[in-house]
Amino acid sequence: MNHDLFGFEINVWADAAARLGLIVSLMTVVVMGLIYGERKVIARFQQRLGPTRTGPAGLLQSVADALKLVAKEDVRPKSADPWVFELAPYFVFVPIFLMFVAVPFAFHWEIRVLELGIFYVLAVSSVNIVGWVMAGWGSDNRYAMLGALRAAAQAISYELPLVMSLIAVGMVADSFNLTDIVRGQGQVPNIVWQPLPFFIFFVAMLAELNRTPFDIPVGESEVVGGPFVEYSGIRWSMFFLAEYAALFILALLGAAIFLGGWAWPLGEEWGLPWQLALTAIKAGAIIFAIFWVRVTLPRLRIDQLMAFSWKVLLPISFVQVLANGLVLVYEPPQHIADILLAAISGAGLVLVVMIMNRSVGKPRPRPVLTNRAAAATPPARSEAAR
Amino acid sequence: MTAPFTHEHEFETQDLMINMGPQHPSTHGVFRMVLQIDGEVVRDVIPYIGYMHRGGEKLAETMDFRQGIGWMDRTEYLAQHNAELSYVMAVEALAELEVPERAQWIRMILCELNRLSSHFMFTGAFGTDAGVFGTAFVYSFREREVILDLFEEISGDRLMYAYFRPGGLAWDVPANFERRVAEVLKSTKQGIKDMDGLLTENEIFRARTVDVGTISAADAIDWGCTGPVLRASGVPLDLRRTEPYLYYDQVDFDVVTGTNGDVYDRFVVRVEEMRQSVRIIEQCMERLRPGPFLPDRLPRMLRTPPGEIYLRTEAPRGEYGIYMVSRGGNRPYRLKIRSSCFANLQALRDMTIGSYVADAVVILGSLDIVLCEVDR
Amino acid sequence: MTQDDAAAPSAEALLAASIWPQVDRALAGVSARPEPSVRDVIVHIPPDQIVRGLRALKQDRELAFDYLRCLTCVDNEDDGIDVVYHLYSIAGRHNLTVKTQLPPDDLTVDTATSVWRAADWYEREAQEMFGVRFRGHPDPRNLLMPEDITDSFPLRKDHPLAEIEVLQGEGVAYSEEPA
Repeated sequence: MNHDLFGFEINVWADAAARLGLIVSLMTVVVMGLIYGERKVIARFQQRLGPTRTGPAGLLQSVADALKLVAKEDVRPKSADPWVFELAPYFVFVPIFLMFVAVPFAFHWEIRVLELGIFYVLAVSSVNIVGWVMAGWGSDNRYAMLGALRAAAQAISYELPLVMSLIAVGMVADSFNLTDIVRGQGQVPNIVWQPLPFFIFFVAMLAELNRTPFDIPVGESEVVGGPFVEYSGIRWSMFFLAEYAALFILALLGAAIFLGGWAWPLGEEWGLPWQLALTAIKAGAIIFAIFWVRVTLPRLRIDQLMAFSWKVLLPISFVQVLANGLVLVYEPPQHIADILLAAISGAGLVLVVMIMNRSVGKPRPRPVLTNRAAAATPPARSEAAR
Repeated sequence: MTAPFTHEHEFETQDLMINMGPQHPSTHGVFRMVLQIDGEVVRDVIPYIGYMHRGGEKLAETMDFRQGIGWMDRTEYLAQHNAELSYVMAVEALAELEVPERAQWIRMILCELNRLSSHFMFTGAFGTDAGVFGTAFVYSFREREVILDLFEEISGDRLMYAYFRPGGLAWDVPANFERRVAEVLKSTKQGIKDMDGLLTENEIFRARTVDVGTISAADAIDWGCTGPVLRASGVPLDLRRTEPYLYYDQVDFDVVTGTNGDVYDRFVVRVEEMRQSVRIIEQCMERLRPGPFLPDRLPRMLRTPPGEIYLRTEAPRGEYGIYMVSRGGNRPYRLKIRSSCFANLQALRDMTIGSYVADAVVILGSLDIVLCEVDR
Repeated sequence: MTQDDAAAPSAEALLAASIWPQVDRALAGVSARPEPSVRDVIVHIPPDQIVRGLRALKQDRELAFDYLRCLTCVDNEDDGIDVVYHLYSIAGRHNLTVKTQLPPDDLTVDTATSVWRAADWYEREAQEMFGVRFRGHPDPRNLLMPEDITDSFPLRKDHPLAEIEVLQGEGVAYSEEPA
């Protein structure tokens, strides 16, 4: 175990430090790229150009923004709770980075191989809500408070379907080790056998990331940025960094767990660059889908969000886990098990879509058009002639 | 359904007062409402207006009839032609001026185009209120821009046109007017379709707007609501139909009414009204003939005999009335602007109580207020 | 309405053709005086009977003035302040203007909020702008102006508009030039 990424003999602590340094520097660059990418993608959706002025094609825009944020004054409201207010960004920021430890980027390219990788990731990811609530409470601002409580409610609601969907996949893959899950998908990615958990994962991921249509805690038009409303400068940028790091890491997880990560369709023999590119493309596709959703959909209301989680996603993910267990416990032949799993999960997905359609897609009467014939105008009697 | 949260608390709770505005992204200017909330449920709303109050009515008393036109633009900065129209028609009625036919048709075209641009502004801003990240806004503004370009070509200004005059128009429209209007209508039709696709049929948009902020027809009438807010409740009160002015009695169009009086109906009524406006403009363009745009004999300094008139027209947001009292002379003795948003905004409290905080934003957006017009 | 003004008909003829006969019937017991105007008929009602008259107009089955278009005041300087109500009936599609004249030494009138809730903000505005007190108004705070300005009434004619009057008043050459 005392080999670092590049195969040198090295002290454990130095190894850990090297890996951590790698994560932090990688993340900073990736987050800047993501912000630039998001601005460009959204701009194209909205028939704009996005950043063009800073550097070639606006590539340095994120760097300029980062410099500005670092140089800005760090303001703390007088009535804020100093400790809670100033510590909150770390509580949001650190757990997100801890999640990186288990993520497989390519064959033998992960920080640590953890046997219960999925559990580790989920456990760590749910810590950052503490930071959100601290930010909301410590700011002594009612919008922040409202946003933080919304965030807490939302995170708790969507944590469960997220966990259940990943457990369902873990059952099928016969492992909670992320590396093993990816390697097991050399032939067929998990999304084929488990489309419903992928859907649940995607929706729950949007909610975890506070992305449209679940950006209720930070809704600009309602709570004006939610818990971050009083933050500025470097502390605000830490929230921002954490947000995009979480986006990246959950996309990576989705790519690894459902889309076959670096393994599918090339297998383990292809070289490192290919595998990295595969991971990047799959994560990129998920991130692009998130951006796409963001520019298209309005925001849900908090009660609708909770209802969707507790009444639709959670029961159906339980059913998925139960069904997987039933299929697997009788140990049918491999191909029958596969077909059964895919059929059940596919049927579940159809069911979810139908429920969603029924609940919101009820037909509405079109506006009534009254034409001249219908409105026989009685003479306006009061108009005295001139 | 925005059923109020009626759960009895087992422990003692306290309502939270949230001050929304005057600097809040979704109060459409400088409007302030104090929300009393219990969790996420709004228990009470106290609206505060007046941040934009500029003493417009007092100022208008010092302006002669020519200067007043420009001032009307500033009271209603999204439907300037409609606001000017009420003013100049009030002056015409008092001074007994005959307006040439061509000027009337052009006024109608411009007012309907202004209705389109104003409703586009609404769909965009409303999309943002509902949480679409800028897309509805940008799409709407693209269409609005096309219309504003045309207005700029005609009047020389993008926002403060001051193009109507008592008796007609300031000058004739440019020679390529017909071609330009056709171009504008073409892009506008596509824009309306885009808005339908982006918002009207969107499931989440419906979930957010259907049965939210409902107001019954009787309540809407009692509160003095007009325009799309009243029509969404099912009352077919459209001054273009009930008290035709200009040549609205000679064109064919439908009065659009909703059925439920909720936020969704207010939205679709406006979108459908945009289609009707396109229809009206097309008919006007067919009937537009060359001719004079001002009366032959127009005094250089317009004076009106003593009298008073309450002149109302159907502006995009509802009834825009000018109550003008003249004591003779070249300026009004008293000018009251009956603002459509002012009355619509009164009903906000009734619509909002019992809904969620997020709904309060959407309901306010659905009223399509222009604070300059409310406060004058 | 149907008669075109051939040789300027008398005021009585105008009124007879207008909505006045029905209004007169509905306002039984209220002393009302009609006056033809450019567009809508004006009915003058004394201030102590105004709310009774308005309610009668709203509740009359045939007239049904269910909609208060506008409520405002006009400062007539020495003659006091007129409170002007513009009414409309959605079902019957007819209009009426109701006026009541308040003497300068007693600018008080009953509130119309009990008849139409729409009168709420209009009355608050009239109150702060003209100093007319609406008796029984549920929420008589200032609406447009800061809440502590209660002794200054900007829309009254005696309220100065100093700088602007210097710039745009009678002294400017073009404004009073004969046509």
